[in-house]
Amino acid sequence: MATTDNEVKELIKREYEHGFVTEIESDTFEPGLNEDVIARLSAIKKEPEWMLEWRLKAYRRWLEMEEPDWAHVGYPKVDYNSISYYSAPKRKEDMPQSLDEVDPELLKTYEKLGIPLHEREKLAGVAVDAVFDSVSVATTFKEPLAKAGVVFCSISEAVHDYPELVKKYLGTVVPQGDNFFAALNSAVFSDGTFVYIPKGVRCPMELSTYFRINAANTGQFERTLIIAEEGSYVSYLEGCTAPMRDENQLHAAVVELVALDDAQIKYSTVQNWYPGDEEGKGGIYNFVTKRGACIGKNSKISWTQVETGSAVTWKYPSCVLRGENSVGEFYSVALTHNFQQADTGTKMIHLGKNTRSTIISKGISAGKSSNAYRGLVKFGPGAEGARNFTQCDSLLIGDRCGAHTFPYIESKNKSAIVEHEATTSKVSDEQMFLCRQRGIDPEQAVSMIVNGFCKEVFKELPMEFAVEAGKLLEVSLEGSVG
Amino acid sequence: MKSVPMLSSAFLHPAGHSLPEPLLALRKERASALVDMPLPTRKTENWKYSSKYLKLADDMAISLPAEGKTGNSLAVPGYKVVFLNGVMIPEASEYPDLDGIQITSFNDLDADEANALAARLGHTLDHAQAQFARLNGARFEDGLLVRLKAGAVLDQPLFIIHETSADASGSAYPRIFVEAGANSQLTLVEEYTSTGQASALISTVTEFSLAEGANVTSVRLNMEGENVQHIGATGVRQQRSSRFESHCVGFGGPLRRHDLQVRLEGEGAETKLNGVVVTQGKQHYDNHTSIDHVAAHCNSEETYRNIAADQSHAVFNGRIHIHQDAQKSNADMNNKNLLLSNGAEIDTKPELEIYADDVKCAHGATIGQLDETSVFYLVSRGIDRRQANVLLTMAFINELVEQIPVAVVRETAQARLSDFFEQTFREA
Repeated sequence: MATTDNEVKELIKREYEHGFVTEIESDTFEPGLNEDVIARLSAIKKEPEWMLEWRLKAYRRWLEMEEPDWAHVGYPKVDYNSISYYSAPKRKEDMPQSLDEVDPELLKTYEKLGIPLHEREKLAGVAVDAVFDSVSVATTFKEPLAKAGVVFCSISEAVHDYPELVKKYLGTVVPQGDNFFAALNSAVFSDGTFVYIPKGVRCPMELSTYFRINAANTGQFERTLIIAEEGSYVSYLEGCTAPMRDENQLHAAVVELVALDDAQIKYSTVQNWYPGDEEGKGGIYNFVTKRGACIGKNSKISWTQVETGSAVTWKYPSCVLRGENSVGEFYSVALTHNFQQADTGTKMIHLGKNTRSTIISKGISAGKSSNAYRGLVKFGPGAEGARNFTQCDSLLIGDRCGAHTFPYIESKNKSAIVEHEATTSKVSDEQMFLCRQRGIDPEQAVSMIVNGFCKEVFKELPMEFAVEAGKLLEVSLEGSVG
Repeated sequence: MKSVPMLSSAFLHPAGHSLPEPLLALRKERASALVDMPLPTRKTENWKYSSKYLKLADDMAISLPAEGKTGNSLAVPGYKVVFLNGVMIPEASEYPDLDGIQITSFNDLDADEANALAARLGHTLDHAQAQFARLNGARFEDGLLVRLKAGAVLDQPLFIIHETSADASGSAYPRIFVEAGANSQLTLVEEYTSTGQASALISTVTEFSLAEGANVTSVRLNMEGENVQHIGATGVRQQRSSRFESHCVGFGGPLRRHDLQVRLEGEGAETKLNGVVVTQGKQHYDNHTSIDHVAAHCNSEETYRNIAADQSHAVFNGRIHIHQDAQKSNADMNNKNLLLSNGAEIDTKPELEIYADDVKCAHGATIGQLDETSVFYLVSRGIDRRQANVLLTMAFINELVEQIPVAVVRETAQARLSDFFEQTFREA
């Protein structure tokens, strides 16, 4: 494998593609967190009184909470007073009124990231809401969406324009005091996306948000709320990147999904925050709470995630299956390399009759990384005839990485059936030999094998994301064989 | 912040001072380490599901007296050692003096032997995981040392009957230490029974140290009464090419807990763990197992089945840890559960922690009820529904019970289980 080693060494040096910094002027708060900071934040956003109260209530809860330490990750503790809780690109006048008014520097950033807003508009017909540091920069495709009755805007706008909806649903799925990071987010969330799909509407296009942390020493705390009314359907995509910096940056988001009777929400994430360098220096701490509530009968929430970035990931997209016959799905590919650590999985809480859930999790660890699946499948006493199937597979590349599985299964209903399977394997010499024998170079062979390993999940992703995800894996994996 | 409950200081005063000096010193040292030992709560990860069953009233701290008649045990075909409330009863025990095999009460050890034992007592266990093994270490009043010299073979199973007899509240702390020399062979049966109506706590520790090529089979039958809380720990360390096999059959109680920890430390070591648990009424049973693959080329195979009826609660937690240098490890864990009633609860957590890449590891877990088509099949052939349920439930676990190598234990277990299911389904 001598030649391979050399090729590998070349490739290993390949750096994080999205690690550039955009030089734009921005308004940034002094680091530190207290009630004044929250009040200022709320004032900048011209929020109504109830919103500020809501934030302060969360902040007070947060003060009493302790940072969780049960996850299979280790990192130096975050000093929450050294982070700036608000950073916004400086705007010349007010909010940009249309795409043409968006700072061209910013647009260039997105182009580098491969999300040309204009192009998407034409080619893919994807409506993009881009969140840059703390504020929502532009939302495309507002008109056609409005025609269908779909509300797709930043959460700050929603607080002003749809206060009754926000009031009704905000914090109902992930309460302020749910966990340490959710409480922090509830106190200081700066922006995020709000989606409302009215009764019976099938959202005419895929909705998408792109998150990017740009400024140094800032945390990003976005909050997403998606409400799917009776009989509606929406597919939502989310992508993330950040510049390369030596210090760790915090990203603590909250996503809440609400599906009423017969509604369907499909939520896909490609997470590629900066993972830190080869020595494990820098990188994003990705501490995210994502939860969907299937309130209505026959509703469905499906999470698909491809996690390749972040230094530390702590993320469990979950479904609370309350409505009769509701369905929860979780498809995940988590790849860790170098010194990355991921503790990710899902929770499927079955409360209603005949609720069903499927969990497919593929973990790939390479280098000196650690990759854990942590999941909970719970059947309440009322989960008559409920069903779960879980499959967690891990693939190890290299002998200095770790792959772990911590599934919690709890059942209080005799008619509920749960099946759980987990396997661990490596890219076998036989598989490699077969590929190489046919003239495929080792890098490509590994990428092929890994792509095959993840196929079950990729097929759940919308087309353009599936392509991106495949490419991402390839890039992330380069340099991991030998 | 709520204050964490602590182990009452009443539990820190051991009784019985007939142990040899080195063991007394060890016990004292362990007791001083127990001051401020927090009791498990719902937040304690490895007691998450079971802490609410733990009831440690101060009167339970009193050592139960090792007096009174023993009885109620298996008709033993092999060698027998009887422990009453944690103390060996020589009059009731029968075992021969065999060449190369030492079976001695801790109380009868000479100074050298006691020193050697004190140095090793507890070395098979991770006390952070099995907190109550520390309590046993601070409180044991007697114990049994079983030593097999290299090549020694015990020709018949050795039965250790642990009897708890509680006429007043109290606790007992029996302890077994087995040292199996190179290529030695042993089958050890531990049976736990009880008499008396007062509430009691039994905290047990059994340790196995297997030298190269040793072959040990352990059978554990847990059949105490409704008044006995049982917290047991078994630690196993295996050297090169040794083989360990464990068969546990447990009936539920107010609190039943067994921690089984196996460390595969030499290449080519093999371990097989089987377990069956049944609970009914408001009973509880919690099995925590962990297998550490420390050395390369080791195999482990684990199968646990739980059945919970009525409002009972069964818990399984299996952990497989493959260390960094344990390449070519093979580990397979399987846990299947039957939930017979809507008031019952089963919680399972099969964990894998893997740090080596060239390994084959798999685990599977299921929870469900009896398959309606199977029941229908039997019913359609003229077997009444109740009987069909009994048959199928028995079949669910018999696969494991059948593997118990000691006939008398196997038959006793089968009869007890069969009675148990008859009763469960009659009431249903």
